Amino acid sequence: MSDPLLSVENLRTTFHTDQETIRAVDGASFSVAPTETLGIVGESGSGKSVTARSILGLVEKPGRVHPDSAIRYHDPAFVQRIARAHPDATFWDDAVDDEPDEAFVTVHEGEQSGEKAVVERGSVDLVSAPDSVARQVRGSEIAMVSQDALSSLNPVYTVGNQIEELLGIHRGLSGREATETAEELLRNVGIPDPERRLREYPHQFSGGMQQRAVIALALACDPSVLVCDEPTTALDVTIQAQVLDLLARLKREQDLSVVFITHDIGVIAQVADSVAVMYAGEVVERAPVDRLFDAPKHPYTRGLLRSIPGLATTGDRLPTIEGSVPTPNEAATSCRFAPRCPEAFDACHEVHPDAVRVDGDRDSSADGDEPAGASGEHTAACLLYPSSLSTGERVERHGGDGRSGRTDRSSSARADGGTATDSEVSE
Amino acid sequence: MAGHTHSTDDRTRDEQPHARDDRPLSARVAETPRPAAIWLLGAAALLAVELGDIAGAVLSLGGMAVGAVAFSYSGTLSVATGGGTVGLVALAGVVVGFFVVGLGVATWTRVRALDRVTDRFSFRTRQLLDGVVFGAAVALATWVGVTAGVVEVLAAVGGVVQGLFRAVADLPTLTARETIPNRGYQTPDGTWHGTFLGLAPAYAWAVRVVVVYGYVAAALVWTWMGYLWYRAHYRRVDWTPRDDVVRRLRSHRWGQFGMVVTFLFLTLAVFAPSLATTTAQQNLYEPFSHSVTHYDAATDSVRETLVGTANLQTQSEGYAGANFGPMSYDQYDRFHPAGTLTNGKDLWTFLAYGARVSLVIGLLSIGVSAVLATVFSLFSAYYRGLVDLVLVVVGDTIMGVPRLLMLILLTVILSDTWIAGLYNGGILLALILAGTGWPFLWRSFRGPTLQIAEEEWVDAARSYGQSATGIMRLHMLPYLVGYLLIYSSLILGGVILAVAGLSFLGFGITAPTPEWGRAVNLGREYVASASWHISLIPGVMITLVVMGFNAMGDALRDAVDPKSDDGSASSTEADARGGGA
Amino acid sequence: MSRVRYFGRRILLSIPVLVLGGTFTFMVFRFSPVDPAAAIVGTAATEEGVAEYNRVRAELGLSQPVLDHYRAYMVDLFTLDLGQSWVVSQGTPVTELLNTYGLRTLWLTFWAVLIPIFVGIPLGVYAGLHANTKVDYAVSVFGIVWRAMPNFWLAIILLAVLSQSKSLLGFDWSGFIVDTSLIGTPDLTNLTTVDGFLEATKRILPPAIVLGSASMGSELRIARTAVLETINADYVENAKANGVPDRRVVWKHVLRNALVPLVPTVTNEAFLLIGGSVIVEVVFGIHGIGWLFFQAALNADMPLVTALVFVFIVVVVFINILQDVLYALIDPRVGYDAR
Repeated sequence: MSDPLLSVENLRTTFHTDQETIRAVDGASFSVAPTETLGIVGESGSGKSVTARSILGLVEKPGRVHPDSAIRYHDPAFVQRIARAHPDATFWDDAVDDEPDEAFVTVHEGEQSGEKAVVERGSVDLVSAPDSVARQVRGSEIAMVSQDALSSLNPVYTVGNQIEELLGIHRGLSGREATETAEELLRNVGIPDPERRLREYPHQFSGGMQQRAVIALALACDPSVLVCDEPTTALDVTIQAQVLDLLARLKREQDLSVVFITHDIGVIAQVADSVAVMYAGEVVERAPVDRLFDAPKHPYTRGLLRSIPGLATTGDRLPTIEGSVPTPNEAATSCRFAPRCPEAFDACHEVHPDAVRVDGDRDSSADGDEPAGASGEHTAACLLYPSSLSTGERVERHGGDGRSGRTDRSSSARADGGTATDSEVSE
Repeated sequence: MAGHTHSTDDRTRDEQPHARDDRPLSARVAETPRPAAIWLLGAAALLAVELGDIAGAVLSLGGMAVGAVAFSYSGTLSVATGGGTVGLVALAGVVVGFFVVGLGVATWTRVRALDRVTDRFSFRTRQLLDGVVFGAAVALATWVGVTAGVVEVLAAVGGVVQGLFRAVADLPTLTARETIPNRGYQTPDGTWHGTFLGLAPAYAWAVRVVVVYGYVAAALVWTWMGYLWYRAHYRRVDWTPRDDVVRRLRSHRWGQFGMVVTFLFLTLAVFAPSLATTTAQQNLYEPFSHSVTHYDAATDSVRETLVGTANLQTQSEGYAGANFGPMSYDQYDRFHPAGTLTNGKDLWTFLAYGARVSLVIGLLSIGVSAVLATVFSLFSAYYRGLVDLVLVVVGDTIMGVPRLLMLILLTVILSDTWIAGLYNGGILLALILAGTGWPFLWRSFRGPTLQIAEEEWVDAARSYGQSATGIMRLHMLPYLVGYLLIYSSLILGGVILAVAGLSFLGFGITAPTPEWGRAVNLGREYVASASWHISLIPGVMITLVVMGFNAMGDALRDAVDPKSDDGSASSTEADARGGGA
Repeated sequence: MSRVRYFGRRILLSIPVLVLGGTFTFMVFRFSPVDPAAAIVGTAATEEGVAEYNRVRAELGLSQPVLDHYRAYMVDLFTLDLGQSWVVSQGTPVTELLNTYGLRTLWLTFWAVLIPIFVGIPLGVYAGLHANTKVDYAVSVFGIVWRAMPNFWLAIILLAVLSQSKSLLGFDWSGFIVDTSLIGTPDLTNLTTVDGFLEATKRILPPAIVLGSASMGSELRIARTAVLETINADYVENAKANGVPDRRVVWKHVLRNALVPLVPTVTNEAFLLIGGSVIVEVVFGIHGIGWLFFQAALNADMPLVTALVFVFIVVVVFINILQDVLYALIDPRVGYDAR
């Protein structure tokens, strides 16, 4: 199994204010393979957008990404560049899992020779890397497309000015060359008469064109990963379809990986190769898209799918999930979905479920050596799984003592291989 | 609405968003009578202590009102019967006045005289005709009453009421100067005669200041507690949007500074007679009609000297021998917390009564401006089109003339009229300020009012026949009130500065009425000398008061705007949710 | 509607304002309780006195019927025939007075506009970029106090401080760089020479600081708020996300947008200065237009007063139009029926 391009491990982003602490993302893990589209779906308040911003390092005071989180970028060329620039922070690993704390570059396959190091497999942890490294990722490797296109564009500069600015920064283009490339970019995203459009201001574009312009801006950076945060939510259905087609085409043409964030599960069906379902800051289910729609495992996912009009069975009331997403202030000591879950039982309110594999019929408790959440896997964080075990065994498996109350935190650390939430109670 | 994080959790717990108790107030009070009883007791105690003052205030206000009515009545009568163009204009004015009154009566009593007679006219015409009919009826009634001698009866009744009030007004009060006197004289053995408990005047005055401020603070706190108790025990609903406003105000530090300064200023203005070291009558207005008792070392006896003469000996003129700085005594055993002016008058008394003048002018001008601006903005937003255009042009023109210049100009050309005599130019100033200030307020209101006018409920109201004034009053006005408060407090500072500046130049309030700007002017040449206090202290006070009002306006604006909740905490939450996705 | 039509409409709206303003000054001139002729001639009861009085009345147009007078008056105004001063400076045409006195006020207001822009706005921007730090707090408080201070008070305090500069500040202001006196009109005839320029500038600096104090406070606050709002804007985040370096984000994206609300503020303040210059000119003894107006009002020189008022109205209208032009240049969204 090849390396993912971007992997997120146990991402924790909290916001501290005088009144409360908000754990917007509380232990999310997933990964994106090269040329794969990962869809992240969830209601508002589930932490999806914060996840996007955490990946790009845009979280600022009073928010912060917990240092134990890891956001690894695996592009070999990039890792090589960073390894050469920061040899002291590079850890050359062949077999061992653990790495010393100061290293933010890990190389699995390559040749160590200081300035002339060669990397064939490795990763850079963007969380522990210094800002100068993280800045090199933004744009050139990972670019963002946001929801509100008009407000993503600076109103006082022409669209051409803004595109050429990015071309200058990332591709070193200027003058005539930059303008021609900018035209090409606009044409590529389907904006007619690009020569004239370059000289216009954002407010002169229509809604759909603005979204295309924002995509063009992102592509101007020549990234490998495109993070799209609800890019079609504010658009008409027809325009939405056009933009989605555009994204699919661009992805094919430029071999992009895409992280597509949305609350619309119908859109997910269209665009995603694999899906991560988020709830209250956690990833509750992870699966390839077909598997998710054919055999959703987590009760939340099932509820979401049932609530799609048309996909559901007939009836005169559209099934909904009662209640709304809570805003987590403390570490999870139980299943966060339990209050709304139709299949919850006692232990659900006392034990926090880990993500376990639920592949096909092999609901196994065996641990793989990849971190949970690798592509192709189907995992769910629910006390109902692995279904092959009894209830008591399952509860124990997730870290409870089978009967009641306290979870034994320390034993559930690391040994499960991955996504156990940490044992500190509060920040 | 409620933007807390917890409301959603609450909702999942119990499905009602807000509890609502529909029993009448008496039932709710009867259920938990204790808080109400305690509060009423406290309120009664606070009122009883100041009963004399309250009665006195009612008396003087009543006197002013009666005086105004009598004056306008006799004035209009003489002008109207005087003939000439002016007389005709006045007569026309009287007729219009009766018509308006009639219209008011018709609208409020909803009695439709014409309905019974004919069905032919439209609703609007009917209303107007009703106005005419009622206006005529009122005019007739007035004429009958006047000729039948109703006026004398009213006067007699008024006299009795006045006598009653006067009796109450003579009761001693807590905050009066007489309760804690600070004027006296000191005999060579060091004892003070005539002051409160024999304390030195400085301390006696300090005690009285503490008592006055303490009383006002206690009254405010008590009212606040009453509101809190009402909210907790007796209010019909669990929560109203006003609660959010209050919550935001509570944590607004800058606003609290503003509130403190405003509190200090307002108390100073309202309780000036008690907070000053002497009275304005004695020291400022008629110094030669009052005298001060003091111990004269030269003759070793207790003497009485005219205040005016004393003032001449206590002038502050910049050098050591002729200067009475802050916190000093003069040779007449008088205490000067802020020193004396160049003409010997006590600066603190000047400032305290000057606060009153500033307050009256400020409130009057803003009140009139606000009324004008509100009416105009309602009209311009409702009718739009030509009305709006005309108002825009007029407003722009008025705003176009620099305000200070306008003030100077109008003060000069109107300086000989009778209006200028009122309050030594104060009323005139207030009216001119109102006349030049309404465009600013109006411009600020216009935006929100236009927005409100476009709301659908206005159209709905119009469609079922609600009159224009009705719509304006019921559906648009309540939303303006918030903006009114905010912008009024913001421009109050500007008004105070304008008045002070004008007085500084010599145009505004003329002597002997005190005004802070004039004090600054008086001390102009002595700023670098020993008598720096004459200019410095009033200047500092002006700065503080203006800052305070600006702070209040800012705080109110932040508190009323629900979006401003996204100031600190909630914007983080919005971030945490990824900007609302 | 296009930008040209937008401007056309604005300019068109200014005309009724000018007409109304002129009418107002006319009414002041004709109907005020102060008799312009009496103010000029005095109220001697002698035969020559009365004859003189009537002659002046005729010359001023007061003996004409109202409508004729009005027409003549308005025509004069709009052809910029502003008459002459009768009391303050007998016989001098108003335009000549405007030239001499106006230049001094212009010099004063020029600096009073410039100093807040170059001191207040950078301070405000700095405070906005470093929000909620101690520096921000100090700067904000400074802005608020500076704005609330009555400028007449500030004027006399500054005068006192500068006159005692030796003992208070350690150096002598009067002799600093160039020899100047504190009070009095600056000499503007030698502006092209270095010495003349220095002297005139140094003379005008204290009054300009005082006159600009309220503006400085306002502009500081608005700059700060504008920066705070733009820093949190989506397009700033987007630019950062796409890899634009921080420095460029601030200079190119934040500041340019923060500028937008500042333009109307600066022009608003500029027009507020016209009135405020009276006090400063009186305190510092600068014989500018404000001082002239003050003298005219004091002496009831009605022709001069009303002419000056009209001039001010014209200036204000002009500044308003200028403001619209600048705003349209700065913000490309103006003039469009956006969204």
